[in-house]
Amino acid sequence: MTKDEYLAMLKRELGILGDAEVSEICSDFEEHFSIGLSQGKTEHEISAELGDPRQVAETYLSENIEKTSGYRATPENTAAVTQAVASVPKTEKDLTGPRLFVILFNVLFMVWVALSVYSAILSFWAATVGLIIAAVAIFVAAAAISSAAVAGLILLGLALLFFAIFSGIINFFLTKLAVIATREYLKWNKKVYNEGF
Amino acid sequence: MNVQFKKGVLDLCVLSMLKDSDQYGYELANTLSALIQISDGTVYPILRKLATDGMVTTYLQESQSGPPRKYYKLTGLGRKTLAALLEEWLTFTRSVNQIVGGDGK
Repeated sequence: MTKDEYLAMLKRELGILGDAEVSEICSDFEEHFSIGLSQGKTEHEISAELGDPRQVAETYLSENIEKTSGYRATPENTAAVTQAVASVPKTEKDLTGPRLFVILFNVLFMVWVALSVYSAILSFWAATVGLIIAAVAIFVAAAAISSAAVAGLILLGLALLFFAIFSGIINFFLTKLAVIATREYLKWNKKVYNEGF
Repeated sequence: MNVQFKKGVLDLCVLSMLKDSDQYGYELANTLSALIQISDGTVYPILRKLATDGMVTTYLQESQSGPPRKYYKLTGLGRKTLAALLEEWLTFTRSVNQIVGGDGK
């Protein structure tokens, strides 16, 4: 068997383990091959010394089952368990209660909460925009007239601009918070709707 | 040899080999398969299990020839387990020797 054949077979036999675990295991064997090759052995010799990949895979699988259930694995049992796990039908859970809850809770309560929260945030933003417009208007006015009041107007405009920026930053974080909360809430809804509590 | 029995003994062997120095998989596999009748491939599942059980940790180290090698190092728990397994093994073999040696009656 060549190195590639050996690794492919090992990978196939390890199939039911997770991808990360399989690739970790395969990299151990790749390392073994490359050290063996650097010592002048052929791929076939190394494969023969490693032993049947099916046997090797079985050892990994049986240890995996022992680890998760304390079950003592023999090759026969391992095969039987693998088969049994694959053939267990998924049992349907009664989801009427959770689904009804999700729908009613949202219609009667959460929709209104969300509406008021978002409209509050919207009005905050409107205030920010208003402050910016006011500041700009004052700057325009200051440019138009030339009197002793100019300095005062510019100061007032700067103050308004400062408030606008300040409220903009706060609004930004409020909006972000609301969006994150909404997303998490929807995720939770979806989970309850599909899987129950 | 009985599979379960061999497994326990192999754990003991691997832990013992790591007692004095960290080693990489190929080295361990070579030494073990030369002394006991097992194939090289048997060593890797054992190493993986010892790692998940917290008996050994691994680290990569460059080598002069070829790719970096994964070294195995005994943890504190590994040393304790080794001591316990060794004690068990010595007691067991002493008893067996008494029986098969005929001086235990």
